[in-house]
Amino acid sequence: MAKMELNRKTKTEIEDSSSLKGTLASVFLLGFFLIVTWVSVYFLFLDRF
Amino acid sequence: MHMHKFEKIWLIFGVGTLLVFLTVLGVSAFYLGNQPPSCLATINPEKVDTTAPFNEPGLKKVEGKDWDYELVYVAQAFAYTPGEIEVPLGAKVKVIATTKDVIHGFQVAGTNINMMLEPGYISEYVTTFDKAGEYLILCNEYCGSGHHMMTSKIKVVEK
Repeated sequence: MAKMELNRKTKTEIEDSSSLKGTLASVFLLGFFLIVTWVSVYFLFLDRF
Repeated sequence: MHMHKFEKIWLIFGVGTLLVFLTVLGVSAFYLGNQPPSCLATINPEKVDTTAPFNEPGLKKVEGKDWDYELVYVAQAFAYTPGEIEVPLGAKVKVIATTKDVIHGFQVAGTNINMMLEPGYISEYVTTFDKAGEYLILCNEYCGSGHHMMTSKIKVVEK
C-alpha cells in the first residue's frame, strides 16, 4: 500500500514564495495614496489665499 | 547584482516621486521666492511699541512696493492689536506681525496665513485677499490661561 502512495503523481499548486506581486501592489497602493493626499493638499493651498 | 524586475519598478517610482516633490519645493523656494514667515527679521521685544511699523498697528496703504497695503499686528497675552480690521476685497497685503511677550500663533482660519510669532522675530506673509467674508484670527500656540480667548477678526469687504 505504501508503495502505491509513493508512485502516485500529485500536483499541488503552491504559489512561488519568491513572487513579489503582492508587494508590488501594496507599494503602489501606498505610493498613489501619498500622491493623491499630497496633490489634494497642494490644490487646497492654491485655492486659499 | 540580481534585482527582481518589480523591485526596479518601485525603486524608480519612489525615486521619481521624490525628485518631483523636491523639484516643486526647489521651484517654490528659489524661483517663486517663497520663504518661511519668520525669515531672519528681528526686533527688540521690549521696544515693540516704539519700533516702526509696530508703533502704529493696523492697515496702512503703501506706495512703490509689490503690495498695496501693510497690515501690522502686535500680539501679547491674550489679545491682538488691532482687534478687528476691514480689508478691501482684492487688496494685495503684507501681513506683518510680532509678539511682545511669549510665543503666540497667528492663524487666519480657512486661509494660508498661519504663522508663529516668536519674541524678537518679525513674521511676514504676503497675500491677496480675493475672497470676501469674515475671517477669524486665532492663537494656535498655547500662551497661557487666556489662550483660548485670544482672537481677532479680519473683514474682507468690497469697497
